[in-house]
Amino acid sequence: MTAKRVVAPYVLILPSFVLAALIVIWPVNELAQIASHSVNRFGQLRDFVGMANFRALLDDPNFIASLWRTGIWTLGVVGGAIICSVPVALVLNEDFYGRDLARVIVMLPWAVSLTMTAIVWRWALSGESGMLNSALIEFGIIDSNIQWLAEASTAFPMQILIGILVTIPFTVTIILGGLSSIPDDLYEAAALEGAGRWEQFRHITLPLIAPFLNIALVLNTIYVFNSFPIIWAMTQGGPANSTDILVTYLYKVGFRLGKLGEASAVSLVMFGILLIFTLIYVRLTTARGARA
Amino acid sequence: MHVKKLRKNTFFSLKGVMLAGIGSLALSAGANAGTVRVTVAEYSAKTGPYFEQVAKDFEAANPGIKIQFEVVPWDNLLQKLTTDISANANADLSIIGTRWLVDFVEQGIAEPLDSYLTPEVKGRFIETFLTPSVMNGKTYGLPIAASARAMYYNKDLFQKAGISEPPKTWAELEANAKKITALGNGVYGFGLQGKEVETDVYFYYGMWSFGGDIVKDGKSGLDSKAAIEAASLYKRLIDEGATQPGVTSYAREDVQNLFKQGKVGMMMTAPFLANQIRDEAPNLKYGVAPIPKGPSGDQGTYGVTDSVIMFQNSKNKAEAFKFLDFLFQPKQRIKFTVNEGFLPVTKAEAEDKYFAENADLKVFTSLLPIARFAPVIAGWEEVADVTTSALQRIYLGNGQIEPTLKDAASKANAILKK
Repeated sequence: MTAKRVVAPYVLILPSFVLAALIVIWPVNELAQIASHSVNRFGQLRDFVGMANFRALLDDPNFIASLWRTGIWTLGVVGGAIICSVPVALVLNEDFYGRDLARVIVMLPWAVSLTMTAIVWRWALSGESGMLNSALIEFGIIDSNIQWLAEASTAFPMQILIGILVTIPFTVTIILGGLSSIPDDLYEAAALEGAGRWEQFRHITLPLIAPFLNIALVLNTIYVFNSFPIIWAMTQGGPANSTDILVTYLYKVGFRLGKLGEASAVSLVMFGILLIFTLIYVRLTTARGARA
Repeated sequence: MHVKKLRKNTFFSLKGVMLAGIGSLALSAGANAGTVRVTVAEYSAKTGPYFEQVAKDFEAANPGIKIQFEVVPWDNLLQKLTTDISANANADLSIIGTRWLVDFVEQGIAEPLDSYLTPEVKGRFIETFLTPSVMNGKTYGLPIAASARAMYYNKDLFQKAGISEPPKTWAELEANAKKITALGNGVYGFGLQGKEVETDVYFYYGMWSFGGDIVKDGKSGLDSKAAIEAASLYKRLIDEGATQPGVTSYAREDVQNLFKQGKVGMMMTAPFLANQIRDEAPNLKYGVAPIPKGPSGDQGTYGVTDSVIMFQNSKNKAEAFKFLDFLFQPKQRIKFTVNEGFLPVTKAEAEDKYFAENADLKVFTSLLPIARFAPVIAGWEEVADVTTSALQRIYLGNGQIEPTLKDAASKANAILKK
């Protein structure tokens, strides 16, 4: 009986484990193979070199800079998107004339390929013939063209803004799901007790959508951390690597410079960071779940 | 040759990354004896239809051999080849940038063509363009596309600024550029590229004119007097407003667009800009002139070829070469070169009326004797990357010219030593 108890759970999780092994562990193992060998530019393994590829990364100031920039990028985009999405979702949750249309409009950017969006913005931000400069001059906000993509100090904030813009639809959808699950009588009861709109938001809405915000936080972090098209299409991480994040750095090292060993090492580092993040998240949510 | 249609390429690049794996699996399964798979770069919207037609004509003339094309955007080509080769799913033939050839040869991936090349086929090519594909005495590739660079100038802007003829020296170029910028109205004298592929090449035009070399005796020429003088000149042009503002946000295509819109007076680029002007800005009055000379009369332009190589692991080598023979016959060649706006690579093309009587193209071909090709060194892309970053820092004013170039040179030397 007890022996059965010990074996049964493992048998039951075996199928999921095999599946996970196929789609996660096998590629990671391949990456580790490449990362620990000297590799020619066509991915053919040569000598075993241990941690040399990782050491080469640590010696590259561009890698360290990209690592930090990835942090700013992820924090900026995910944080910005959530802060912007909550009010948008609240408005869209109200019953007003034309709400369906408004919802469609907010969701539309989601339907457009990320790369297309980034390219359109690349044109819009062009210094001499871009729409943004024309519009700002028209409104008298600036009097000479700003070269948005010429320097990281203007390019990177713009990229974060665009990142926020394209992340909003998905985040709004998740939050809307949360909002629609809150029963109206809670608000009616609160209103009877004299709670204002802010208090209602603070003490009813926010706690009840918290699990949904958590999901948005985790999924967005994973997507944004790995997001390639916006930065690549607009600046390719330039000028002088000043807008590189880890993915664009990885692409350059791997496919432009042909150093597949170092590129695999970067990708293992990225895998590690996301793994740690996910573990912390799972830990936090299960701890809270246990308490509740 | 990076005739990249940016919009399209960047659009495809992501898809390419994701599909490369799946695509190569499917294709390798479908390939069998009698089918020759060819990976080609998409130079323009005309490339795909052109090769489709070639395949049809070839199959009609050679029953039993099937040709399968994979058209890949230029930006993605090296990445696709890398993925394919590492998965052992590469095609039989592929177009590559000739400057990548050294890696392909060193790793034993490219097959020498000498045993197939008859003197007749070899004799079809113009020597200058075949040489870059020859390594260690063996021919590894046949040049399929060639270009050199010259200076385009806007005749209307020159007239408005009271300039009678294109500059012959960089000093004249500087003076002219300032005059054109002084016209105001969002018009600038010299279009300077400061972003993405070939940013380094745009700098070499100046460096060569001051007598510099990219690599000399196995060492980088980036810290030479010529490089410093050229960088100082470019930086001065930027500071004087003689170039368009924000150069580091301009890829070559962006500068070309400014030229087509009549917003810059001069720029250096390849013959294909003439085709684009013909199609997109037919009213633009422009001329083509040689790259200006430096103070002591030095001058240089950039020559580029793309080659078709055969893979060492191909199972249909005889059929593949039969196809190459067909591809390099005058009928196919002329159509391709006219479509894409390249320079003729075979003698028969050069004699064709279209090329022999084209004044713009004559300027380009006249520059061939001073054309320099990318040095055949492993790690060239990395050197280019180091150079581009250094230049961007100088253009932005984030780095002093001399120390930045010295630092870049020592990095380049470390790469060259490997």
